[in-house]
Amino acid sequence: MTDTGGAMDFDIDKLKEQYVDHQFDEVEFVVDADDMVEFAQACGETAPQFLDPSAPDFRAVPNYASRYHGRRSLPKGFPVSMTASFDAGKSVEITGPIHAGDRLIARSHIHDIFEKTGRSGGMLFIVHRMEFSNQHDVKVSTVDWRMVVRLDMVQGKKSKPNED
Amino acid sequence: MILDLHNHSVASDDARAKVENYCQWIQRREMPLDGFVLSEHRQFDGVSDYRDLEDRFGLVILKASEVETEYGHVLVFGVNDDLQSAFDFSSVKLSLEAVLRESQRCGAIAVPCHPGRPRVGMAAHFDTLGPVEGVTVIETLNGGSRGRENEIAIALAEQRGYKGIGGSDAHIVSHIGRCATRIERKIESMDDLVGALKEGDCEAVSYK
Repeated sequence: MTDTGGAMDFDIDKLKEQYVDHQFDEVEFVVDADDMVEFAQACGETAPQFLDPSAPDFRAVPNYASRYHGRRSLPKGFPVSMTASFDAGKSVEITGPIHAGDRLIARSHIHDIFEKTGRSGGMLFIVHRMEFSNQHDVKVSTVDWRMVVRLDMVQGKKSKPNED
Repeated sequence: MILDLHNHSVASDDARAKVENYCQWIQRREMPLDGFVLSEHRQFDGVSDYRDLEDRFGLVILKASEVETEYGHVLVFGVNDDLQSAFDFSSVKLSLEAVLRESQRCGAIAVPCHPGRPRVGMAAHFDTLGPVEGVTVIETLNGGSRGRENEIAIALAEQRGYKGIGGSDAHIVSHIGRCATRIERKIESMDDLVGALKEGDCEAVSYK
């Protein structure tokens, strides 16, 4: 990325080299049964395995891990502030069940950065990936959170690096 | 044959449709489609194999790409290893002239899509960049176009003698089949489709 007299130019390849696949956050969460039930109800779930803590194999709904947020949305110093971005959707891949009382370790990294163009102009997409493993070190869920920045909002301006 | 020449699956970053679900939708709605093309954004999906779905649903399912140039987006039919080596499909700064030239050289065909759309349609750039040589077919009917976008595309085709194709630009299951292309000859492979397009055997149709 070059900074030419106030104009911000994104060199996607350099941005990817610097930030993709580098872990920048790690947080632990303890899974609470009441929270699991509340989330399942909010999702409109009706199956007892997700709503009744006394049900055999009571577990969290498949998208449960998407409710968690780490301490950082972007790595420190990432050259785009969160205030310039908006949510572009989430996807969840489950690889194991989440049970009440589980201790989940969530590790975050930038999974991908890419540009695309649309009716409104150029956009930069940033994919924040959180990988959740339980206390047995079994990966149970991977959540991709996409953020999009309109390039016309950051190009031509000095973009304040992400410090949150 | 009626084929929907422009659709995206979950392989594209902004689409939610699984290919099997497209097939089920076409079947349940008894749509007049003989098949469709998956034209994934800024990549060629060389991995997915839809032959089983073709057999199960009696549809022709082909794979293409939608790339991004200074003149907007372009569908590329007939992607092969040579063409993938010729330019970076993931770039948003491709040269339309280069995409046309390399497609021609490698036996493929490049078709500017939604040419009437602001910023990402070819017509929007003629004033500043001038017209481009080598275009023979454009997408005159795009299922996702708004307002006068398709009208502009049709007018452009008439002015410049381009043939037209139709495609839904579907990103969700229910949008497939909004627009399509009528082709007189039988199409069983991408080679057949490329041959048809190069010979102008194509007519855009709308089911909206």
